[in-house]
Amino acid sequence: MTILLLTAVLILAAASLMLQRSVPAIISFAMMMFLLGIYYIGLDAKMLGLFQIFVYTGGIVVLMLFGVTIIGVEFPQARKRPWAAASALLVFILLSVLFYRTLPVLKMAADKPTEEIHLFAAGFSDVVILFALIGSSLLYGTVKMAGMLGAKRGSKSHQSGDKRREDV
Amino acid sequence: MFSIEMFFAIGLFTIGLYGVSSGRDFLRIFFSLEMLLNAVIMMLATTAHHLGMTENIVLAYMVMILATLEAAAGVLIFAVTNKITGAVIPDEIEREELS
Repeated sequence: MTILLLTAVLILAAASLMLQRSVPAIISFAMMMFLLGIYYIGLDAKMLGLFQIFVYTGGIVVLMLFGVTIIGVEFPQARKRPWAAASALLVFILLSVLFYRTLPVLKMAADKPTEEIHLFAAGFSDVVILFALIGSSLLYGTVKMAGMLGAKRGSKSHQSGDKRREDV
Repeated sequence: MFSIEMFFAIGLFTIGLYGVSSGRDFLRIFFSLEMLLNAVIMMLATTAHHLGMTENIVLAYMVMILATLEAAAGVLIFAVTNKITGAVIPDEIEREELS
């Protein structure tokens, strides 16, 4: 069952990139995220699964719909890059080899009994700081871009107002 | 089972990488970026379940929050770039237009 679910995830992921029409591509992207949420629920990570369904299938797909309003129904034709597939395949092989080589170490680390229970932040405080830094810079970028977009719209409406006044 | 699930996660990462490096329109680049981050979340959730590394779930939540912020920033960058240059493909943008 899990394998079927994950195969469907990969097929939908490839379809969302290969489809030439934007709305079916978005639908397959949303379905992919939904199936991933179901997979997480199956892994006993119910909260993560529900977050996945609400955030991705709900929030991010709506954000992507905003992109569809700019792009249109059909995706535009772009220059072909034949090396992209080759490099992705190379990365796939490299990652697979790396994973199979580190698998015994991973299993050994998992089997090792934990001597003391510690807080997540005690072991991962550096990671938390790093995530906070990246998150705050992304938030800053979002606010800055929103400001830029507002200023651009303001100047455009100002220009069109001037033009109308000149016509009158 | 763990190896097979990780194999699927690597597959999802590869599809995302192909989408980013093939450099089509902005929307499909966003799809690919989300796939890359989701492959990481999938790996974290799988290791948490099969290897008992429960702290990975917290990391998965953090990556999810970053993915959400990245999508918001990305769509706004797309909107601003489209407003300035009228481009929907990264190849169409010329450096002079943005400066």
